[in-house]
Amino acid sequence: MPTSTATQLTPHKAVRLIFEYEGDTVRLISQQDVEMAVTGFDMPGVDHPGYYVDTRDAAGATLARVAAHGAFVGSAEVFPERAGEPITRVDVPTPKGAFTVIVPVADNANRIAVVKIARGAAAPAPGTRDAGVAAAAPAVAQDIASFPLTSKGQPTDSGGTK
Amino acid sequence: MSTSDGSVLGNAQIFGSAPRSRAFNVVMLADGFTSAQQNDFNNACAAFVTAFTATPPFDELRPAINIFRVNVSSTDSGADDPVATGGTGATARTYFDSTFGTNGIRRLLTCNNTTALTVAAAQIPEFTVSIVVVNSTVYGGSGGSVGTYSLATGATEIAIHEMGHTAFALADEYPYYAGGSETGHDHHPATEPTEPNVTINTNRATLKWNWAVAAATAVPTMSNPSCGTVDSRPSPVPTGTVGLFEGAHYYHCGGFRPEYDCKMRNLGVPFCRICRQVIWNRIGPLATLPGRNRTPINVVARFPEHLDVFAVANDGRTMSNWWDASSGWAGWFHVSGGIASPGNAGSPVTAVARYAGHLDLFTVGTDNRVYSCFWDRASGWSGWFTIGNQTCRPGSTVNVVSRYSDHLDLFTTAADGKVVSTWWDARSGWGTWFQISGGVAAAGATVTAIARYPFHLDVFTVGTDNRVYSCWWDERSGWSSWFPVGNQSCRPDSTVSVVARFKDQLDLFTTAADGKIVSTWWNARSGWGSWFPVSGGVASAGSPVTAIARYSNHLDLFVIGTDNRIYSTWWHDTTGWAGWFNVSGGVGKPGGQVAAISRVTEHIDLYTVGSDGLVYSTWWDGSGGWAGWFALGVT
Repeated sequence: MPTSTATQLTPHKAVRLIFEYEGDTVRLISQQDVEMAVTGFDMPGVDHPGYYVDTRDAAGATLARVAAHGAFVGSAEVFPERAGEPITRVDVPTPKGAFTVIVPVADNANRIAVVKIARGAAAPAPGTRDAGVAAAAPAVAQDIASFPLTSKGQPTDSGGTK
Repeated sequence: MSTSDGSVLGNAQIFGSAPRSRAFNVVMLADGFTSAQQNDFNNACAAFVTAFTATPPFDELRPAINIFRVNVSSTDSGADDPVATGGTGATARTYFDSTFGTNGIRRLLTCNNTTALTVAAAQIPEFTVSIVVVNSTVYGGSGGSVGTYSLATGATEIAIHEMGHTAFALADEYPYYAGGSETGHDHHPATEPTEPNVTINTNRATLKWNWAVAAATAVPTMSNPSCGTVDSRPSPVPTGTVGLFEGAHYYHCGGFRPEYDCKMRNLGVPFCRICRQVIWNRIGPLATLPGRNRTPINVVARFPEHLDVFAVANDGRTMSNWWDASSGWAGWFHVSGGIASPGNAGSPVTAVARYAGHLDLFTVGTDNRVYSCFWDRASGWSGWFTIGNQTCRPGSTVNVVSRYSDHLDLFTTAADGKVVSTWWDARSGWGTWFQISGGVAAAGATVTAIARYPFHLDVFTVGTDNRVYSCWWDERSGWSSWFPVGNQSCRPDSTVSVVARFKDQLDLFTTAADGKIVSTWWNARSGWGSWFPVSGGVASAGSPVTAIARYSNHLDLFVIGTDNRIYSTWWHDTTGWAGWFNVSGGVGKPGGQVAAISRVTEHIDLYTVGSDGLVYSTWWDGSGGWAGWFALGVT
């Protein structure tokens, strides 16, 4: 669109977080400002069971929730050396490792939380059309760690950023 | 063995040229390569680039992919390989401390993930996934937040499979946990997996990948006759057929996968259609959207700090993007495969939010039937399903009104031009389609509807004599007859836009036969007014007039003009109609549409397809006026 005032949106402020975990113990290793777009894929807006990282405001309200893929995995994959042999899994007695997420940071964000979401007691059958506002049982969210947000993301120009 | 056993030498971009802030950035880290062996690592990275970028759908997504290598020298060559797990007993002082034999299994090759992530972030802060390449020809690898693989033949497949988990949240599609001889894995638990590529649902209508299943494909496509074992029979359908194949997600029965084979089931085979779609929806949103030139865009504000935008890509697929005040724009993604709305002319996707945690979408599919899908905060996106068997005009618009949160009313035009409607109620489900009071619309005309209050509907269209017609429904009296609204002659493909500034007032806008933008009104006390031209404006042929009311005494209009520039005007009760003005220099497509929404009274958001075919947006704010147009993507 050729316009006389075309403005490209500047990226939303974001922070990369690296966590280390062993069992249920989580440690925040680093916070790093990063100029990076976070897509809806990582912010599904749906409370599917799994692990997430929230940004929160001073009142504790969640501002953004990003999926923590690859975190707290309780098994490991073993790959076959020869074609045709099965991939298998083995249990990991005590999950241990690290994971990273990039979270968008709103101006009023001041804490981050690692959240575990468990399935509600009576989740709807897959794909069934809801029968109203009360159809789906809520998932159960539990904070497993919380940290102050010390990084505030990249400074942005005033123009173009919503 | 730690970071004292080597040093980071630096990094180099070895593939891609996408802006790092809007790209899928892969970082490859060297472990067990001495200073003198860095060229071996470089060669391994080059081989990975060749394999990865030739793998569908990454081959199509190359413009959004960058690959970097981080050269790291280690004191020793190779990795630890304990004797206890069948290894050589080698111990190697390496930077990332890679070792075979994790969990007692020699092929399970792992490294220090914290160190790997920290180095990746320091070298390439925008990285998406990190992969450690270990200098050993012993076969091995592992997944998790850091992919690890060795230089053994075929080990790059491990990295790509693990990327399926880490970057795309895909499930394993293999039907066993420990190769098939394990116990406790005969039947999948009766809980639907959250991953997009496995399911326990055998209902074709509600299957989450139903958009990809051909009508002629049996569902289930393949069932396991003996749940005590893995079904090892060959596929009954040609390779690439999407259906429902039993045996997935670590269980012999009860869990289903979309295709007979997939890279999430076996190494060395392509990703299935569903996994390719998921990967597309992770990387594709980093780009802007080439939109279909004249297909209307729809926008919904489920709450004031959130917008959901729906558009049709130039290939006819249904797309969505959303904005949240806390996180910005999420990027364009295909809605449940995005295939429901190609049509010939391109049916728009209409959307309604009955409540803040729910969206209902409607469109007309390639078979000219009405399709719907929904998003719910509790369950995510549903698959597409048809609403009855009504056949519509190709490219028809399905307009939807939610009079209250448990009810929907739909309006569209049948193949023969009849104005038809149906409804959905939480208590009774979908009704049957019916013709409204014998009404027939002109070719190309849309049917618009509005609920001024919960038990009343007003419906508008352009009739076969090219005049504007209306009828209404009231809970007490049912449907009225159609009546002409004045004597205004319109373009036959006109849309009649209607706004209720308050419940006893309607304002109508459309385009006359000569393209002039005209309006009339209805008031409960004074009845219908006369049609009048709005400030002398003329629309591009086929361009609808978009109207919003930010207050009860204020209207804002938007249209594409005859010079294809984007124009606006407003009406205020104390000052009347303003002159038309060009919005921030914006230029649209001939016959295009401008979508507008006011999520708060002193704010307007606009969307249109620009002259270069991309979807653009701008906004007006009472404190700052109009912003510049920007190509809508991800922020």
